[in-house]
Amino acid sequence: MKRIQILIGKIIVKLLHLFRRNAGNLPGIVLWHITRHRCCSMFRVDCPIIAVTGTNGKTSVTNCITQLFERSGKNIIINREGNNLDTGICSLLLRHCDMKGRVKADYLILETDESHVPVVYSQLKLDTLVVLNFFRDQLDRNGEMETLIQKINGFCKTFEGNLILNGDDPNTARLGRANPKNKNVRCFRADPYAFATDKIFEASEGRFCPFCGEALKYDYYQYSHIGKFRCRKCGFGDYEPYITASDIDLEKPQFTADGHTYSPKLKSIYNVYNMTAVAATAKLYGIEQSVTDSVISNYTVNNGRMENFMLGDRKTTLNLAKNPVGANMTLRVMNEMKGEKELLFVLNDNIADGLDVSWIWDINFSVFERVTRVVTSGTRAHDIAVRIKCSGYDAAKIVVRPDLDKAVAELASTEGRKFVIANYTAVQPTRAALKRYIAKHGGKVR
Amino acid sequence: MSTVKILHMYADMLDLYGDSGNMEILSYRCRMRGIDCIIDKYSIDSEKPDLSQYDLIYIGGGADLEQQHISEDLLTFRDQLKAAHEAGTFLFLICGGYQLMGKFYRDADGNDIPGLGLFDYYTVAPNSRRKRCIGNIVIRTEITGKQVEVVGFENHGGQTHDVRTPLGSVLCGNGNCKNSPSEGYFEKNVIATYLHGPMLAKNPEISDYIISYCINRGQSDRVGLKPLDDSLELACREVMLGRLLKK
Repeated sequence: MKRIQILIGKIIVKLLHLFRRNAGNLPGIVLWHITRHRCCSMFRVDCPIIAVTGTNGKTSVTNCITQLFERSGKNIIINREGNNLDTGICSLLLRHCDMKGRVKADYLILETDESHVPVVYSQLKLDTLVVLNFFRDQLDRNGEMETLIQKINGFCKTFEGNLILNGDDPNTARLGRANPKNKNVRCFRADPYAFATDKIFEASEGRFCPFCGEALKYDYYQYSHIGKFRCRKCGFGDYEPYITASDIDLEKPQFTADGHTYSPKLKSIYNVYNMTAVAATAKLYGIEQSVTDSVISNYTVNNGRMENFMLGDRKTTLNLAKNPVGANMTLRVMNEMKGEKELLFVLNDNIADGLDVSWIWDINFSVFERVTRVVTSGTRAHDIAVRIKCSGYDAAKIVVRPDLDKAVAELASTEGRKFVIANYTAVQPTRAALKRYIAKHGGKVR
Repeated sequence: MSTVKILHMYADMLDLYGDSGNMEILSYRCRMRGIDCIIDKYSIDSEKPDLSQYDLIYIGGGADLEQQHISEDLLTFRDQLKAAHEAGTFLFLICGGYQLMGKFYRDADGNDIPGLGLFDYYTVAPNSRRKRCIGNIVIRTEITGKQVEVVGFENHGGQTHDVRTPLGSVLCGNGNCKNSPSEGYFEKNVIATYLHGPMLAKNPEISDYIISYCINRGQSDRVGLKPLDDSLELACREVMLGRLLKK
């Protein structure tokens, strides 16, 4: 039976390749049906599997961990295209397995959607689970935050492999207590950076101790609900960190962890957390220090995550924001920058974005500094315009251009520094529109 | 100058789906008209407020865990809330806030969690995920004296029954229960609804109904509201109504 299923899957992969179609998800969907929803159960994987999950940063951390092993000369399999549901992982393994379902590699490194962790790893044996953070993201798809955490917590109750957790996020740190018998729980954390605050700045989850209900006390907040927390009643938050990022200087940028100084390319506190998770994984697997150094200091992104463009002579930075935390982060970076600037916000409400755009009301626009004009675009261009207006920003300085090419032309029509925020399905069309503008009017993609 | 005093209860805990945006919108629309809008926040660990001091009491929606945390605390306000409601204070209640003012909430295991009993309706948690009502919603209401379409987003499991005076009829979406003809609960000084979005974002006429009620409450001469430039809001409504109501 299993062989027939694998055969069917492989035929679909071949056919899709033959017609030059993307085989990233469809074969898995077919097998999901014929295996009665257990499409990952037919594979035999003998090598360790490392999974990365969390709301923000999965793709970055998965790519960096992959490089750790690749540069150590290991043969690895990774879901690069971000097909991170059970069906996507099934499609990936179908391409790499033999007719008996055996997958040969030194390591499997899999970015895994938060809600699919229990599904996939009840079928495949997991060696290490890296959990980065849990934020509000697509609440209409994932249901409420707590439901999601409960799902993963349920999985962790019987999990005995390695858990690498963000110890500064109470939503992820709590997973460390799910299975008291598991001795392989390791937390990473970070000392306060220059813009850490003693009050919470942005809407967030998890203000209460999940174990006793007491309000959590924070020494400092880095951003959103990430920071040094502790429950005064039951002591949740007391743990021995496995690795700590300290001496964080985002101007250079630089930080120290385990006695090594790293010089990453990206200037954000989010990247420091991501890279600390990478360093923790490297430490756990005994990766050579020189390899870890080079991975962390060379990692950069060019897929709409703090990506730079020149629209003619106007410097433009594009960043993906699929939830309030991501958007607030871009606004911070924008505000910390001197001089006047203009913002283009592209908001879509396609299924992959979540149909509900009310998350934009959790973005703190009242912090706007020296923002001289706002252009809005996307399928919900008007919603974001209303949102920004009601934060007190002068409505006369808001221009609504649902069509992306028109929006980019509008943005580029004035002098000065530009920022672009786009949500999930908007980011690639926005990059394309920026590139079309550059092809026509000059400038460059950097 | 008129003043609107608002108490936003459990602002730090019941703030799902941008519900705090409703406060930002009321405050914005007051400010543009020179109306003084004071918003006090109450949370479990702050000092108990005197509810009779307020023109409007607002409670948003929250995740189940947060809702459990506050329900006991909210019960201690039962008499004060009843008195405020009878004295004409406006109650603006979203989702969880709406449910908690009813007779009870029956959870998925069949246990009844007592509500404040201000109103006769009650809510039953569904036994299946399929009953969860998620999506864009349009309702038609006549609370302002003329027909108004209200556009929002609903996301609730609870099915609310025995609503005698709903806020409006459902044109698109679910409403109080799965495929319900009606949505929300209404009295002249109560708007209770499942609409998020936040509710007031695309519905300036509802915002102004609330503000107008608050500034005219207890006054002998009725004061009108200065019209605002709502062209962005109207364009936004037009896009969504066009998309959702076209058959």
